[in-house]
Amino acid sequence: MRHVRGFDVVRPLSIATMVAIMLPLVLLPLASIFIFGTSQGLGSFWAALTAPEALFALQLSLVTSFWATVFNVVFGLFASYVLSRYNFWGRNAIIVTISLPTAIPTAVAGFALLLLWGPYGTLGRLLAPHGVQLMFTATAIILANIFVTFPLAFGVIKPVFDTMSRSLEEASATIGATRWQTFWHVTLPSLRGAIVTGALLTFARAVGEFGSTILVSGNLAGRTQTAPLYIFAKFNEGQVEAANAVAIVLALFSFVIFSILFFARDWLDTE
Amino acid sequence: MQPEQARKSEREVDATTAPPNGAARESMHNSARGGVAAASVRSLSKSFKGTMVLEDINFDVGEGESLVLLGASGSGKTTILRIIAGLEEPDTGSVHLHGRDVSELPARERGVGVIFQSYALFPRMTVEQNICYGLRIRKRPKREIKETVERLLALVKLEDHRRKFPSQLSGGQQQRVAIARTLAYNPQVLLFDEPFGALDAQTRVRLRREIRTLLRQIKVPAVFITHDQEEALELGDRIAVLNAGRLEQIGTPDEVYNRPETEYVATFLGAANLLLGVAGAGAIEIGTAAIPAVEETARFREGQAVKLVFRPEDVRLSETNSLAEGARRLAGGIIEEMDFVGAYERLTVRLDLIARAHAEGKPHLYNVTINTSDRLTGVPILVTRPKPDAGAARFKVGDRVTVGLMSFRVLPNFPLASERGGKLYDTGR
Repeated sequence: MRHVRGFDVVRPLSIATMVAIMLPLVLLPLASIFIFGTSQGLGSFWAALTAPEALFALQLSLVTSFWATVFNVVFGLFASYVLSRYNFWGRNAIIVTISLPTAIPTAVAGFALLLLWGPYGTLGRLLAPHGVQLMFTATAIILANIFVTFPLAFGVIKPVFDTMSRSLEEASATIGATRWQTFWHVTLPSLRGAIVTGALLTFARAVGEFGSTILVSGNLAGRTQTAPLYIFAKFNEGQVEAANAVAIVLALFSFVIFSILFFARDWLDTE
Repeated sequence: MQPEQARKSEREVDATTAPPNGAARESMHNSARGGVAAASVRSLSKSFKGTMVLEDINFDVGEGESLVLLGASGSGKTTILRIIAGLEEPDTGSVHLHGRDVSELPARERGVGVIFQSYALFPRMTVEQNICYGLRIRKRPKREIKETVERLLALVKLEDHRRKFPSQLSGGQQQRVAIARTLAYNPQVLLFDEPFGALDAQTRVRLRREIRTLLRQIKVPAVFITHDQEEALELGDRIAVLNAGRLEQIGTPDEVYNRPETEYVATFLGAANLLLGVAGAGAIEIGTAAIPAVEETARFREGQAVKLVFRPEDVRLSETNSLAEGARRLAGGIIEEMDFVGAYERLTVRLDLIARAHAEGKPHLYNVTINTSDRLTGVPILVTRPKPDAGAARFKVGDRVTVGLMSFRVLPNFPLASERGGKLYDTGR
């Protein structure tokens, strides 16, 4: 193509092509949720959203995701500390194993949990006589969330531990601090960004988790049905408005988390 | 005696003879050097993965004294510092602080102040918070913390920066915060790990002076680690020269510079000329030349192989046969090169030292061939002259001169401490 002085033809063409491809792939689907949701008027949107089953599904998603996040942060810190500070036989194997679920299909993850904790599962069989049934409860959803999201939190926190200068902790020790004081006053503040990032990633991913949840939860409306399962169920029943109302909430929710991760990046990154 | 037993018995001795810590420090103040040292290490050895990094290291640091551990990278100096601080464990040996064996104590119970090379300031804490950290974790009363912080901020002249974070400070300021942070809990000894490594040359010189002044003020004993000989000479009351995990020499700057005990020390601290020779009766023979040295040869037997070590600035040149007063004639020579390098003039002089009857199959000791058609014999030496001398007697390349030495050292012909028969202990004390 001829290059006209002062005007590069390739530039606008490339931009236009890129946008044209992006539109139907990402932007239009998202926009259509909002367009459809508001087409029947805000009143029907509100009614669909405040239906007891819808509210329950949203609440269950938030609560289970919250506990999965708490676990991921606390245990993520602990695991990162151990795996980054101590060198022991099998350490790399553990690191690989922890990260493995990122590559495992979520349906497989859910199925695996069922095989372990289900009424006839390896461990579930031992618990069943005592009246303990983990599967098809909120606990099962949390377990599935942890299984799927732990690599996310770990993957953010561990590298910060690895690159953190040991001299800070050594300095703290020579000044007279105990290990706990050092961790609390020196190590933890340096991990602030990683913890927030890890928590947000976990939470965002857990709220939207579908594949593993549908297997382990039993998908009982009003009891073990999370928001994504609700969307799927209502859509199958032909109640598109009901599904769409919850979909809008989940979409907005993920926008918020994404914005925090995106715009507070500098704040989160600072050591 | 097994090492374990040795350590144990030493501890027992300490427990019975050493006064309590505070009293020890008090008495040290009065007795200056001697008595109980502020810090001492005894027969430290350490190996990493089969290689010895420290071998039988012994030294003392007196009260209020600053000792510099000088060595190239890999000499083991950082390991010594980390062992004193309790950040690393020696294989054998012990560390004593004010007479108390602290070998078994973890870092946090030793009460030493470490100024890390990177300063290791806590990035999320302000200057004030960094300084009071040691008191905060000791749960001292608020008023005491406040007073200490004020006093230390004034001491290191950072009153105007108290609310800043470390990243907002210059390198020098960060270093002062690091020092103040350790002083807050009255450390028994300050350990500086390459304190000026991360700074540019000019700041380095300025900070060196500042720290020297500060240490004189606070009278806390200090151990510095450096590979910079200039820094060592300026900072140290005494210098310990380390080479490959061994202590080559320990002494005052004057001692290690002017009376090096080993070739390594002589060449590591400044430039040194080195000539191989033989101890004779009241003289050192170097080839056909001989330099009178009655005192220096006294400790050698006649015919023993020795090294003559002398500094470029201790050489005196003369066009006539008469040398400056106090200089001893070494040999004649020819000026081969002249450079003017600012404050002084640097010359290369080729000495006329014809080797004695050359033995078949042996290399020529003093035959040097340079890239000219002439085959030159003789040994080149480095000479420096301050500007006044250079102005008073001007030379040009090719001039014949008489070479004399104001002072020199005669060393047995072993290059390293590790090759000497005996072990080196503190020669400066």
